[in-house]
Amino acid sequence: MQVHASEAAHIRHRQQDQGVDRLRYRVAALLFLFLVAGMAALPLATGQISFAFYLMLWIAMATGMNICVGFTGYLPFGYVVFYGVGAYATGICYRIAGLPILPSLLAAGAAGLLIALLMAPTLRLKGVYFGIVSLGLATIVRLGIANLPDHYTGGSMGLILSGANSPVQSFYAMLAVMALALWVVLWLSRSRLGRQLRAIKDDPGAAACVGINVPSVRLKAWLLAALIPALAGGVEAWYTNVVDPEYSFHVLVTAKSIIYGMAGGFGTIIGPVVGTMALYGIDHLIWERFPLLNLLLLGLIIIALMLFLPRGVVGSLLRRKPQLRRYIA
Amino acid sequence: MNALLIQGLLNGLILGAIYGLVGLGLNIIYGVLRVVNFAHGEFLVLGAYFAWVMLSVFGINPFIALPLAFIAFFAVGYGLYFLLVPRLARSDDPETSSLLLMFGVSIALGAAMLLVFDADARTLDVPVEPVFLTFGEIVLPTIRLIALGIAVALVAVLAWFLYRTQVGKALRAFIMNRDAVSLVGINAKRLSAFAFGLGIGLAAATGVIVSMVFPSFSPFMGNDYTLIGFVIIVLGGLGHPVGALLGALIYGITEQVAVVYLNPSMATALGFSLMIAVIFVRPSGLLGQRQLS
Amino acid sequence: MLKVRNLKKRFGGLQALRGIDLDVPARAILGVIGMNGSGKTTMLNCINGIYRADSGSIELDGQPLAGRPIHEVAALGIGRTFQVPRVFQHMTLLDNMDVAQVASQASDAERNEQSAYWLDKVGLLALRYNYAEELSGGQQKLVELARIMVARPKLILLDEPFAGVNPQLALQLINLIAEIPVQHDCSVVLVSHDLTSIYQLSHHIVVMNEGAILTQGSADTVRSDPAVIEAYLGA
Repeated sequence: MQVHASEAAHIRHRQQDQGVDRLRYRVAALLFLFLVAGMAALPLATGQISFAFYLMLWIAMATGMNICVGFTGYLPFGYVVFYGVGAYATGICYRIAGLPILPSLLAAGAAGLLIALLMAPTLRLKGVYFGIVSLGLATIVRLGIANLPDHYTGGSMGLILSGANSPVQSFYAMLAVMALALWVVLWLSRSRLGRQLRAIKDDPGAAACVGINVPSVRLKAWLLAALIPALAGGVEAWYTNVVDPEYSFHVLVTAKSIIYGMAGGFGTIIGPVVGTMALYGIDHLIWERFPLLNLLLLGLIIIALMLFLPRGVVGSLLRRKPQLRRYIA
Repeated sequence: MNALLIQGLLNGLILGAIYGLVGLGLNIIYGVLRVVNFAHGEFLVLGAYFAWVMLSVFGINPFIALPLAFIAFFAVGYGLYFLLVPRLARSDDPETSSLLLMFGVSIALGAAMLLVFDADARTLDVPVEPVFLTFGEIVLPTIRLIALGIAVALVAVLAWFLYRTQVGKALRAFIMNRDAVSLVGINAKRLSAFAFGLGIGLAAATGVIVSMVFPSFSPFMGNDYTLIGFVIIVLGGLGHPVGALLGALIYGITEQVAVVYLNPSMATALGFSLMIAVIFVRPSGLLGQRQLS
Repeated sequence: MLKVRNLKKRFGGLQALRGIDLDVPARAILGVIGMNGSGKTTMLNCINGIYRADSGSIELDGQPLAGRPIHEVAALGIGRTFQVPRVFQHMTLLDNMDVAQVASQASDAERNEQSAYWLDKVGLLALRYNYAEELSGGQQKLVELARIMVARPKLILLDEPFAGVNPQLALQLINLIAEIPVQHDCSVVLVSHDLTSIYQLSHHIVVMNEGAILTQGSADTVRSDPAVIEAYLGA
């Protein structure tokens, strides 16, 4: 009697709960699917694939940054180190070791994971310290690579991957990387790991008290977050055929990943994608017309965002209209 | 001992003093405002450009330009505080937000300098007689020794200010206990603005000194100085000015001695490695207090 | 079930715990009272792994706990609430429940069942989609309690559960806590300044003073102990 009634209520609740979760997930999954499909079809329609290539790259980078900032709660100011190491791994494998392009790209991913593992001890540092150490480490890697003997890494002039040029193939490779990034955050948004991450970000002490192995969970997220920029860097090296210390480790790579992600809002998985799509176009336009102003505007945009829209477009929208949380993951 | 080594040590001392000033400025801003001033280096370079403009456009020599720079940038800092910081306090995570905000400021300032001054490196020609001073085998540019003297004097003035004046004591009290300060009737906002102005003014003044010591400067040096500033703070412990000075000396000497034997970029890498090692061994800095878990 | 022997902890110049011996039997409620600074919270923190004791042993059903990281202690079956509730503010109540079942091998459906059960028990099932930060302080205390129970613990450590709570809510909490030992096969260590609730709930009371146990016994024993009256109940 009483037992039956409450059991029935629980079953109803359970279905309702699953329904709500499913809706948000489906909305995001659908959006991402459209994006991937649209990009896949693009080379068939036009030869101008450069803009789309970089758009996909930045979506992947911003999404990877979202895993660090939005999910795990770290600000990696040295984020570019994964990108650069991935680019160099591909460059070295292809140009110097003479491997074909696919294993070289896989090497990029492996290199990113390796660096992430090496940096694992830094994960126990608090926000500010972590950011600084991350930047310091990235600088050390950059300087190290620039100073290694030329026949290993091309020194300060870098490497040229002549003969690797294949725009369409590298376009699809980048599509694969972006799809991977989007799939990872989709998965995180409804997986146990994702929930644990959010708990850790909220209150690491309380998270430990409910049984979450904080260091281990953080490391897993960190590895995932490192894989994406590493692969992106490798594919980009293939696309442009150039790898060099200044360019592959440039602070702007980190800066843009942060800005695009922040513009949309790091708290959601849709946010960084939206932010990138909104800003990359503008950024690209300005860079073509007013290259000198571009950098200044980027800085001003960060300032404006932090002052007026710190949660990004999507985040602020959710703040104003919490009922939209049902649809936005 | 090797003459080069001694020279490296002395250079390390001079640079250590400069880095110390950078660290002090950063510490004051962080200690009082809990703002991580990622743009500190850019303000430093702005100070250097200020000195350059003073000399080449107005014919004012850097020794006079220094206090002028301090005053001008103090005012800038004071105003910037009211523009930037109160909003930060309302966010979920003020420290991270300040980090990002000042990151944006640093990019914007660097780009602005690039636009106004171009990427060419500038030099400050300060006529000083004699140009070099010789001690046995060791040759030092006079201007560097003067810069060292100025830096030490600045630190002394700052110390006097913090320990002997009303405002300075209020600042120190604020660093120690942010909430209690308003209770004793101090206007926390104005004090914070003052601290920000002080930090920025100090950065600019340090920039003037840098322009005297180094052969050239360019808009993107700012990043390096900010990073070094943070290294110093980490070495000394965030919120511990004396530790910052100690850390600066250690860092400066390590870097300059390394330059004698390695190339400059490896020396920088070594310096950063030192910082990372310290973070792991003594997370609260060389002199910082151990935190309870 | 929980055996604490000669637990010592010092912070710089302060000896916070001077050799504590404690026994918590299964399915019991142990009340802990004492002045501020007597070491109550420090003791809880040592048991649950937040602090590492300097010396002494802590055993749960024979399993040593001392020196283990917090999440391992939690996984072994110890839950902990705090004076100021530490719920996950930016997560829904349901997610708060779910994430606390991390050590559970149960299926998704079973975990949801458990989450719903406990949210219902504390009367917050209707708010399960709300973010924890939207709840009042009192409601958050209920969420915290539900969250530790959802993991089916063997022992829960409650630090000042009645602090700053209105009488109606206090009553709700008392009723909830009272049925935990028998209905959920779980012991409770209850630290509180609310003597009435302590006397009402506890099978056994421990009085702490300056890092040591002054006396222990039933409510009547403690109430009439002259040393306790002098040190604590006083005026």
